[in-house]
Amino acid sequence: MFLSAAFVAFTLAAPPAPFELKDGDRIVWLGNTLVEREQRYGYWETALLAANADKKITVRNLGWSGDTVFGEARGRFDFNDPAKCFKQLVDQTLALEPTVIFISYGTNESFEGKDGLPKFEKGLEKLLDAMKPTKARIVLFSPIPVDPSDTRAGYKGAEARNADLKLYSDAIAKIAQNRDHRFADLYTPIMQTFAGWKTHRSTNPHLPEAEKYLTENSMHLTQHGYGLTVLDFLKSLGLDLEVSAAEKTGVLRQAILAKNEQFFNKWRPQNETYLFGFRKHEQGRNAKEIAEFDPFIAKAEDEIEKLRKELKK
Amino acid sequence: MRHVLLALMLGLIPSTAFAQKDAKTPDPDPELERKTFIVAPGFEVNLFAADPLLAKPIQMNFDPQGRLWVASSEIYPQIKPGEKANDKIIILEDTTGKGVADKTTVFADGLLIPTGIVPGDGGAYVANSTELVHLSASKPGEKADKKRVLLSGFGTEDTHHIIHTFRWGPDSHLYFNQSIYIHSHIETPTGVKRLNAGGIWRFNPDKTQLDIFARGWVNAWGHAFDKYGQSIVTDGAGGEGINHAIPGGYYMTSQGPHVQRIMHGLNPGSPKYCGVEIISGRHFPDDWQGNCITNDFRGHRVCRFKLQDDGSTFASREMTEVIKSNHPAFRPIDVKLGPDGALYIADWYNPIIQHGEVDFRDPRRDHVHGRIWRVTAKGRDLVVKPKLVGATVPELLEQLKAPEQWTREQAKRVLKEIGKEKVLPELAKWDPKLPAGPELDRANLEALWVYHGFGATSPRDPAVMDAERAIARVGGGKTPEVRAAAIRIIATRGADDAELALAAGEQVKFAEHPRVRLEGVRALAGSKRPDAVALALAALDKPMDKILDYALWLTVRELEPYWMPEFQAGKLTFGGDAKKLAFALNAVGNKDTVKPVLALINGGKIPTENVHGLYLLLTQIGGPDEMSMVLGHAAFATGVTDAQRNELAESVEATVRNRKVPAPFVCLGLTGLIRQKGPVPHATLRLAGLWKVAENRADLEQVAASEKAAVGNRAAALEGLALFGDAKAKEFLTGLSDPKQPPETRRLTLIALAGMDMPTAATKAAEFLADAKPEPELLDLYAAFLSRKAGVPALAKALAGKKISPEVAKLGLQAVRTSTLTVPELTDALTKAGDLGVARKPPTPDEVKVLVADVEKADAARGEIIFRRKELQCMACHGIGGAGGQVGPDMTSIGASAQRDYLVESLLIPNKAIKEGYNAIRVVTLDDKVYLGIKVREVNGLLVIRTPEDKEITIPVKDIAERGETKSIMPEGLTDTLTKQEFADLVRFLSELGKLGPYAPSKARVVRRWQVIDPTTENLNTFRRTRVSAAAEVDNTFVWSPVYSLVSGDLPLAALPKFTVWNDTAAQTVLRFNLDVTTAGAAKLKVNSVTGLSLFIGASPLEPKTETLLDLKTGVQTVTVMIDRSKRTDDLRIELDDVAGSPVRVAIVGGK
Repeated sequence: MFLSAAFVAFTLAAPPAPFELKDGDRIVWLGNTLVEREQRYGYWETALLAANADKKITVRNLGWSGDTVFGEARGRFDFNDPAKCFKQLVDQTLALEPTVIFISYGTNESFEGKDGLPKFEKGLEKLLDAMKPTKARIVLFSPIPVDPSDTRAGYKGAEARNADLKLYSDAIAKIAQNRDHRFADLYTPIMQTFAGWKTHRSTNPHLPEAEKYLTENSMHLTQHGYGLTVLDFLKSLGLDLEVSAAEKTGVLRQAILAKNEQFFNKWRPQNETYLFGFRKHEQGRNAKEIAEFDPFIAKAEDEIEKLRKELKK
Repeated sequence: MRHVLLALMLGLIPSTAFAQKDAKTPDPDPELERKTFIVAPGFEVNLFAADPLLAKPIQMNFDPQGRLWVASSEIYPQIKPGEKANDKIIILEDTTGKGVADKTTVFADGLLIPTGIVPGDGGAYVANSTELVHLSASKPGEKADKKRVLLSGFGTEDTHHIIHTFRWGPDSHLYFNQSIYIHSHIETPTGVKRLNAGGIWRFNPDKTQLDIFARGWVNAWGHAFDKYGQSIVTDGAGGEGINHAIPGGYYMTSQGPHVQRIMHGLNPGSPKYCGVEIISGRHFPDDWQGNCITNDFRGHRVCRFKLQDDGSTFASREMTEVIKSNHPAFRPIDVKLGPDGALYIADWYNPIIQHGEVDFRDPRRDHVHGRIWRVTAKGRDLVVKPKLVGATVPELLEQLKAPEQWTREQAKRVLKEIGKEKVLPELAKWDPKLPAGPELDRANLEALWVYHGFGATSPRDPAVMDAERAIARVGGGKTPEVRAAAIRIIATRGADDAELALAAGEQVKFAEHPRVRLEGVRALAGSKRPDAVALALAALDKPMDKILDYALWLTVRELEPYWMPEFQAGKLTFGGDAKKLAFALNAVGNKDTVKPVLALINGGKIPTENVHGLYLLLTQIGGPDEMSMVLGHAAFATGVTDAQRNELAESVEATVRNRKVPAPFVCLGLTGLIRQKGPVPHATLRLAGLWKVAENRADLEQVAASEKAAVGNRAAALEGLALFGDAKAKEFLTGLSDPKQPPETRRLTLIALAGMDMPTAATKAAEFLADAKPEPELLDLYAAFLSRKAGVPALAKALAGKKISPEVAKLGLQAVRTSTLTVPELTDALTKAGDLGVARKPPTPDEVKVLVADVEKADAARGEIIFRRKELQCMACHGIGGAGGQVGPDMTSIGASAQRDYLVESLLIPNKAIKEGYNAIRVVTLDDKVYLGIKVREVNGLLVIRTPEDKEITIPVKDIAERGETKSIMPEGLTDTLTKQEFADLVRFLSELGKLGPYAPSKARVVRRWQVIDPTTENLNTFRRTRVSAAAEVDNTFVWSPVYSLVSGDLPLAALPKFTVWNDTAAQTVLRFNLDVTTAGAAKLKVNSVTGLSLFIGASPLEPKTETLLDLKTGVQTVTVMIDRSKRTDDLRIELDDVAGSPVRVAIVGGK
């Protein structure tokens, strides 16, 4: 135990050791818009599965826009009650019985700057404590930087934002180290990718509009942006993928998107007020339909399984 | 679907086929539907598009080419497992100019309940469940193949609440709304924007810049801008008609930091409306220009409202409908003007609306039909569709002068998409070539909006700055509405540029038009500068109105973090103006303001009308010493009225309870109030107990034991004693509950005792009930047990083995029903003790079926009389046309939206389905008290609920031990006393409300809500002391009760209370009603007949005439009507009417 902590500290600068997934792993992925939108683009998840094509791995994306380590976006009618918001975050995760948990927070919290850091650290520690019953292996991701070269929105202060994001990223790394969790640095490689793309853009003036920038607004990755940061994502986990292998993943990605849509309709159904909320006495009888999504999710998983095995060949 | 329909028609689905004689699936032929339309005189309606070209339209907007983009959903209300989301955006096109869509293109499919659509930027902005997306096609004219997610994190808690009502603002920002159940958390480059209730978002897609434009409403399904950019909003579940939304304002059911005060709509007591459009353009007659068109989708009507300036806001009056119909599936839900100047109406076409009350999978739900109707004026030329796409920049700029707002808005869209590099140089050169005047000012405003749309331009761009200032400042544009709009533009940039905001705010000082001052006041909020507050408060130097007062209150609060520190440091003095200081301190009302309020009071320079308000404020913010000071003022100061004394004492009590302010060292005021000769404020007796003031204990004991003291005083004194909570108090109360004491003493004492010693209270109560008379006062005793968690088991236990009279037991069951609690142990105990039969059971589906069948033969007119019976209490909670209680939903158009089986079930099983916004919560406090009610707001650690008695109760969140959702606060069993026929009549009446016919919503300005003097002993004594006309005096001390006109507007005299003051004098009835005058002027009162009437306005008599001219002053005016019942038997009907040329803005006050 002590040994491994010392080892991590000693080897921080070297390329990180691969994060090993096991056959049968169930990953729950927590986070904010970065994670939520990944489920509808699917590049990162596809790459992760392709890089582990010899194992059966299921991914459940629980990203929620605007969320924080406090579960602020998950409270719904209990938004005024921090305990209930947090409980939602924890209960949603525990219900899926994960063996691996990806945690990707810090972006929204970092708007509070240096003053907000202690609160964030405390919140993350509390979240990690609450995850203990799962006995899952935990990966703590850093936030991604804002793209300083995407000035279209006219916001000033990208450098100050990135300084704060780096501050929170370092805090996450420290907590990961103290708790012997895996830290996955997205900040550094994606910052390099942004810089590289800036050069690419200036030397290729006729890029299609949708490909000129990797972000919508300096902050959120575009579809293209997710695609072009696939290797950064894998790198943060110490993984890699041959370009030739990546090129074969198009069909797999479609299957993953289909699975994500079915799962989304199940775990964040519309009309929650009537299905499970305070008006369930009226239309709660329709809640039984939610369980009926399970066979469709299972079917989508079978398809992923089939395609994954084909990749291996 | 087809086979389901067939099965329905053949009656193969028994569980539903019986239910809706009035909601069977109608013949879907559009022509049959069209023939049911009663159209406004001079207009006609044609079918523009119908299924199968489109199904289930939800929202529509035109593009600059004149094509109509429609969002439609067949999946609504809920996707089925395994079903592929395949909702569509379609484009309807009239390529031949015949007023009929002849081309349909599916622009996008595979969507999940798209509730908003607006074309733009080479594609369309679409509401896609949790996301706002931009869809576009790689090849023009083809299906969208590109999707960009622009914003994500919108809630989906209810599929008719998810983001909707997309519209480009005049400033080229995208406005869209969300409804009450939606909780949204949207990440933007400047931070997360969170909105946890209804509201209007303002979005600049170029910058991912997102703000909350206004907050609140239940379902704000309509938003339009007038030609000066003022926002008009309608609500598909609120009942306040047309709303004028001001930037940053809070409206009904808001969430946010300033919910203490909210704004209201312009037509309280309206049915619910969906969509809104403002008429503009040459195709419509002059008297329609600027009118608002909106849809009463429940009542199958397309409605028209006339707006007129009223101070800083508008007055809104309903006119003859554009369309009314009795077709059960005609559901107008969106309305837009088109490129030809005609009015287009989206008809969702469905016999079933809503999915809260009616099952998601109800087979009667229509998933396949939909229509777009087109309304044109007969004999008037259509507008020639302007050529905008492909026009040059100078040509487009000329279109900014077009009379049609459609053309101006679409020209701005095209300019925006051409881009600022090409447009701005031309715009700088553009000369509208108009003579000085409002037309030129408006053209300049359009130009300014173009600049602003590019967002443009750094605030330091001198050309733009000059343009803005020229228009905003006196000497530039003179049209006040234009200046108001220019100020708003500056305000939206104020956050980046405080200097600009302050410059705009200077208008508050100078502008004569109140709307300019309103915008100035709101602009200052964005400056975040301490000196801005003084500029804003300059508004008080000129005449104020309600909306200006609100705007100033909000601005002062929003600026508080900036000015309060300066004020406390003595750097900000408000020029020593006590009125301004009082306003500011009142608005903020937190503990930081205690010292300045004290200084203000001690300075002695406050205008008299502000004194009471400042003392009230002190009760809300002060500590023990301030409470003592307030009570001293109440007890000893001259000029304090009884009502003010009561209000101050109650406010001190609320503070002590909510903020736990301890007793002051001395409080001469409290003793002074308790021992005074005049009426003792009840709150003081409870306060003595709350603070455990030893020297007042004897006072309380004396009042409690005195059989001569008023019941209210005794109850308060007993509660005060119980609050002492010690052995001495317990001994005293136990003594008073002894069987030797008179029954009233025992009953009152037991209520208090339940608050301090539940087991003893329960035992004594069972003893008391055993020989009690069945008087209604027993309900209060039962309530004392029902309102405490330990009370129910204790009383149930104490009643075990006891015998009480059946009538006393029935009162107990009534109290249980009123509480809406489910307490089987107590229900059983009462039933056994009273030897009653089996307890009430909810009806079976078969029984409901029989009851529904009876309704067909029932009589609505008899039903209305039953609805009005006092003992049924319907009108205590439900209004019709805004007259009546406000605790439950307004019934104005219930019959047009609710099916008969729903009505029957709602009466018999109130918990089965509950209108949104009417779900109750149950709270148990740390001291074990149980509260039920509808949540009004929760802010600063205080929860405010509205109880079934229509009282607002404040509970400190810290004191809450348990909190849960409960169901309806409508008591069960209200109709149990009705005969079968009476019940059927009542349902028949409700089912007719809102349908075409005698119970349709009326636009007549008729007095519906009255107050009457009951012949109580107190009232009669007051009459004898004074005279009958004393009832017309301001601050009279009579006790008035509410009465309401029939739906027709007539007030039946027969049922009204009458009295004779002296023997041998004629019987009298005294009524009054209120008029709310917002702009002074002349108006007319029309009375159906003056026989036997005397009229007063205020205290001045009016000569009774069938038409009486009133010269109304601003404020609430009371009209008192005295009726000599020996001379008059006719029903009374009073209407308000216009006087030509009068500036008056007046509304009849409704409510409870």
